[in-house]
Amino acid sequence: MTAAATWQIESWPQTIGEFERLVEATQDELVQFAFYRLGNRADAEDAVQDVYVQAFRDRDKRRNVTEVRPYLFRMVRNRCTDVLRARSRKPAGPADQATGAEDTLADMLAREEAGEFARLLDRIPEREAEVIRLRAWSELSFAEVAVVVGAAVPTVKSRFRYGIDKLRRLLNLEGGMPR
Amino acid sequence: MKERDDEEVLRHIQPLAPIAASNSFRERVMKAIAEERARENSRTARGWKSWPRWVTIGCAAGLILLLLPMLRVGGGPEKSSGAALLAQSVQAMSKAQTVHILGRIRTLAGDNFELIGAEYDFVPIEIWREYSNPPRWRVEKPGRVVVMNGQTSTMYMERSNSAVNGTPNAGFIEWLRPMLDPQSILESELMAARKGAAQVSLSESNGVIVAAVSRQAQGNFANDWARNKSIAQSDHRCVYRFDSASKRLEGLQVAIAVAGKETVVAEFTDFRYNETLAESLYVLQLPADVVWITDTPSKSAPANLNGPRDAAVFFFNACASEDWDAVLQVRSETSVPMGIKQTYGGLQVIAIGEAFQSGLYPGYFVPYQVRLKDGYVKSYKIAIRNDNPEQRWVVDGGI
Repeated sequence: MTAAATWQIESWPQTIGEFERLVEATQDELVQFAFYRLGNRADAEDAVQDVYVQAFRDRDKRRNVTEVRPYLFRMVRNRCTDVLRARSRKPAGPADQATGAEDTLADMLAREEAGEFARLLDRIPEREAEVIRLRAWSELSFAEVAVVVGAAVPTVKSRFRYGIDKLRRLLNLEGGMPR
Repeated sequence: MKERDDEEVLRHIQPLAPIAASNSFRERVMKAIAEERARENSRTARGWKSWPRWVTIGCAAGLILLLLPMLRVGGGPEKSSGAALLAQSVQAMSKAQTVHILGRIRTLAGDNFELIGAEYDFVPIEIWREYSNPPRWRVEKPGRVVVMNGQTSTMYMERSNSAVNGTPNAGFIEWLRPMLDPQSILESELMAARKGAAQVSLSESNGVIVAAVSRQAQGNFANDWARNKSIAQSDHRCVYRFDSASKRLEGLQVAIAVAGKETVVAEFTDFRYNETLAESLYVLQLPADVVWITDTPSKSAPANLNGPRDAAVFFFNACASEDWDAVLQVRSETSVPMGIKQTYGGLQVIAIGEAFQSGLYPGYFVPYQVRLKDGYVKSYKIAIRNDNPEQRWVVDGGI
């Protein structure tokens, strides 16, 4: 469990200093989540940066939010969905949109992984894939995942179960078990 | 049993190595937040809105094809790629709680961390880094220390008895900054190689992986003044040593080439991982009479300064007449340090030359010759810049 995951953020930050602490505590896990969703560092960091700025802009409105960390994941998830939607509307350019100039060598390896994950998760219903992504790419509990996706905890657990069963079948079909 | 099966499935879509935000990410985010706050203030004042736009998509096609041939690690019975070394190094470093680094640099005690020179003697330098949340660190050499306590960084300069506060990522330690994140060094060097900014070679022997990185001097050298005065402004070669077994950084040597001769200007030979570091390292005890340096001068700007040379003339004239309030009009300090008063008070200006730019310095250098009160004639270049929010001319160094 990372230090970020154990750090409890009691309420929505209100000052620049509190935001700096929030960024320090959550940046890695949010960027990782966005990276595996978007497939490259530049887009991932842009998305997470947009979220932090939005979080700052809405600080007064969100003053009473207590589940700060899952709420941030929710914002990042929504932002990633917007980016993916925008990408699907654009014609493919000369550059592969899943690559980024800022990517490092480690990113390139991770991007290959992300492609594999996407290929698998695209084959199961999106609402199940969404829960599985959140469980696999973050350290969120089921209760926190429920906050992110806006569903009840038992529903989240059911989606997870159905999704995992489907993935297992897919992996067996592909001869991919065990890793 | 079911849960164990679930975990097994989950492992197929879990990252092998964690992805972390890049080193500059927090700084960029905090800058964007600061800009957002500035916009809020502006909106409050003017009643209109503007929105930021983020467009940074680029292209890295063919990256692996370009890199992998360059990154073979040779020499041992088992060959591995630079990519594998990088991944292993990052993973090894992710287990480190602390690192304590000892080294030495050819520089002047008390001067800034950027200054190096083949002609100087070695002075010791020590770095302590805690990978906590938030991270904390301390970098110290004789006459100068920087402490980052998790919230702010503070630099204390003994010679002038002055101190300056900054954000956790303020550039007080300059080129040494990457040493705080040894796990990122190889990564950034390989990236530089990809961009053509450096040449990298990897080799392995006797349980040590050696990465040698060569770079050309950076900056504008129409005037050579700043050449070889910092690592970045020199043709240089960094040789990193990684332990083959642990994949941790164990050594670094930096050599610069001056007139065809290579001189080692920095070396770090002792990397102590996971030492228990004392809390007191992150507390800077400052003298009660410390002089604080601010972003811009505390006094109003002098009238009719039409450039760096005017600012230099104003500064030396103020010193000559011991008008310390006037000095503060072109210095970013809350009061004039005693050392400056004692050294430059009552000086006599002999000559002030024309301003010029050199190297990577964002400001100007102005040649000067002055006779100090004790009769010593000093000829040097004063450094003056105006890249502050108010675009005020400020004497930044060279005295």
